[in-house]
Amino acid sequence: MKKTFTSGNIAVAEGAITAGLKFYAGYPITPSSEIMEYLAEKLPRLGGVVIQMEDEIASINAIIGASWAGVKSMTATSGPGFSLMAEAIGLAVITETPIVVVNVMRAGPSTGVPTKTSQSDVLQARWLAHGDYIVPCYVPWSVQEAYDLTIKAFNTAELLRTPVIVLSDAVIAHLWEPLVIYDEGEVPIINRKIPKTGEKVIPYKPDPDLIPPMPIFGRGFKAIVESLVHDERGYYAPRDESYKSLVSRLHIKILKRLDYVFDYETYYCSNECEYMLVSYGSTARIAYVAMLELRKRGFKVCMLRLKTLWPLDSEKISKSCNASRIIVLENNMGKVYMDIERIFKDREVYPAPLLSLELPSLREVIEVINTWL
Amino acid sequence: MAVENPKYIHPLDRHLRTDRIPTMYCPGCGIGIALGAMFRAIDKRTREGLLDPDKIVWVGGIGCSARATLYVNYDAAHVLHGRAISFATGVVLANPSLQVIVIGGDGDIAGIGGNHLVHAAKRNIDMIVVMITNFVYAMTGGQVAPTTPLGVKTTTTPRGNPEPPLNVIKLLASLNANYVARASTTTPHYIESFFYKALGIKGFRFIEVVSTCPEIYGRHIGLRDPVEMYNELKKRIKYKQKPTIEEADISWETGIVIGEFVERNMPSYLELLGKVRVE
Amino acid sequence: MVLNLSVIRDPYSVISREHEKVRVSVIINRCKECGLCIAVCPTKVLVKSTIENTYGFHPPEPAYIEKCIGCRLCEYNCPDFAIFVEKVE
Repeated sequence: MKKTFTSGNIAVAEGAITAGLKFYAGYPITPSSEIMEYLAEKLPRLGGVVIQMEDEIASINAIIGASWAGVKSMTATSGPGFSLMAEAIGLAVITETPIVVVNVMRAGPSTGVPTKTSQSDVLQARWLAHGDYIVPCYVPWSVQEAYDLTIKAFNTAELLRTPVIVLSDAVIAHLWEPLVIYDEGEVPIINRKIPKTGEKVIPYKPDPDLIPPMPIFGRGFKAIVESLVHDERGYYAPRDESYKSLVSRLHIKILKRLDYVFDYETYYCSNECEYMLVSYGSTARIAYVAMLELRKRGFKVCMLRLKTLWPLDSEKISKSCNASRIIVLENNMGKVYMDIERIFKDREVYPAPLLSLELPSLREVIEVINTWL
Repeated sequence: MAVENPKYIHPLDRHLRTDRIPTMYCPGCGIGIALGAMFRAIDKRTREGLLDPDKIVWVGGIGCSARATLYVNYDAAHVLHGRAISFATGVVLANPSLQVIVIGGDGDIAGIGGNHLVHAAKRNIDMIVVMITNFVYAMTGGQVAPTTPLGVKTTTTPRGNPEPPLNVIKLLASLNANYVARASTTTPHYIESFFYKALGIKGFRFIEVVSTCPEIYGRHIGLRDPVEMYNELKKRIKYKQKPTIEEADISWETGIVIGEFVERNMPSYLELLGKVRVE
Repeated sequence: MVLNLSVIRDPYSVISREHEKVRVSVIINRCKECGLCIAVCPTKVLVKSTIENTYGFHPPEPAYIEKCIGCRLCEYNCPDFAIFVEKVE
């Protein structure tokens, strides 16, 4: 392993390289452009391809194509580009294509403030495209975590044959911290299942784990990548049984592995907690400091930090702590608050929408929390 | 009709998923004619040993022409409307040994996919794009398309089309494509010979196939019978050995010139990247 | 020679006629009665038959096979892979 000092954007790029990225197609957009620039320099030397496409729509369609040609692929963008990628996320879901999409959130709506942060895309990350589906979403809070969760995103995508979203933001992107980069063999890397060459392939027939092996192009599998609702053969099937079984399998294959997908951390949770702070991403950095400050002042505060934003494991979250007052701190108008309130239905849950272009100051956060204490 | 082990009767049955035949195409639709011609060209190249059928990938967007990807017995992708060329770019760059064929209609490739078409031609990316032009959005019932001639009444231009049409051949001739040709479903042997040539060269190859569409476009212009529309179109098709770009106009009054408009040998994108296609 | 009116369901059933050089075969249940093969044939070998296939269409039959020159225009212009010409060995 190698220890270096770098930014969140570079950490995402390095994580992708460690995971085995071989194709990157993207479009420059602040604050994610460094990811493409770094990979454009480094990836071709490792046998990969980086291409700047004409827009984000072309980028995400190209990475879906590359994934079907058999390589791990990724793109990175920000809010406006992410909105353009909506239709193609749906395509990746229904064709069960492993891809990783990094959304480095910035202040919106629309062009917003390109160089400053927000966490307002969290519900878009959950349900960007039309239709019924679950897309796993990871949200790092540090440079090291940006690296680790990008590797985990690739592993999740390959294991469950699904698109995965990594939700970084403008603060993490340009933050510089020490980073440990692992060598080959030091961190588990998962690769997609591929049928054995020569055997007859039914493209969408699931194995017992509900995930079909992926018949990549060029090996004589006669694969069908079908965006219409399809049956096991990949043929258009506008019938109730096929529709119900396809949509429910796409959900259940992720929920079955919630143990692998859902990741979180708790700090100072014990039987004596009275208040719990819930946060994620860059806001969790200041929430953590606020928790320490409040504990110094004598309040029994603990904290839950989500590393996986979607899907949420309601059981693990509700059992994490028996604090009676829960405050959800996020840099938007209160989005994940809605789910936390639903999960902790027998407790008092309060929103703390801290709209702030950069990380809010400790005083500001303590002030907001104090209104609920 | 789903059949377990399909028999191959027709000489081109090897190229088809025969359990999905008959196709959903209308009687007299030109897409089947174009497909047959392309299969014959693939057969010839395979027999010469220059093409491995396992390496062929068909990519289509949405529309009647793109639905051909459902019927071919190869690796195929039926993706989003207009985005087939982007998908195909990812496929060919990730695995340069694959021969990628994009098939789609004029609305899919030159309308919503127009930006991707322009950039793929500019990059001279290694793929073959076959655009089947029927001057209308047929699958959705006959709305106006970018190539619909001026004045034609369609379902969304009931008082006549107020827009002059887009000429895709002229557009691509100004870019960096290696091969730009036009054929017609009334002359399938030209489709076969242009496609055969395209399979043997590198870079961005584009073949426009002007097609009959008796049920939808034929309905708009009063030629609902398949044979009548075929004969009317055939009257207007003129083959030229080396047509110039000025002759690429499509006009029902003055005729439609088919032939190979552009033949260049510019370096393809893969060559510029330093990755040569492994045969 | 005209066959009797009948409904045939087999996807592979074929009307076939040959003379000493060529055989013309029509796959009955693929035909959509577009009429292109009958119209492009230069020697007028094909006529519409009275057979009704599973979909209600009347495929052609090579009634005047002796006039066939094996040009294959019918095979090339059929949109449905429903007619083909073979050399008789």
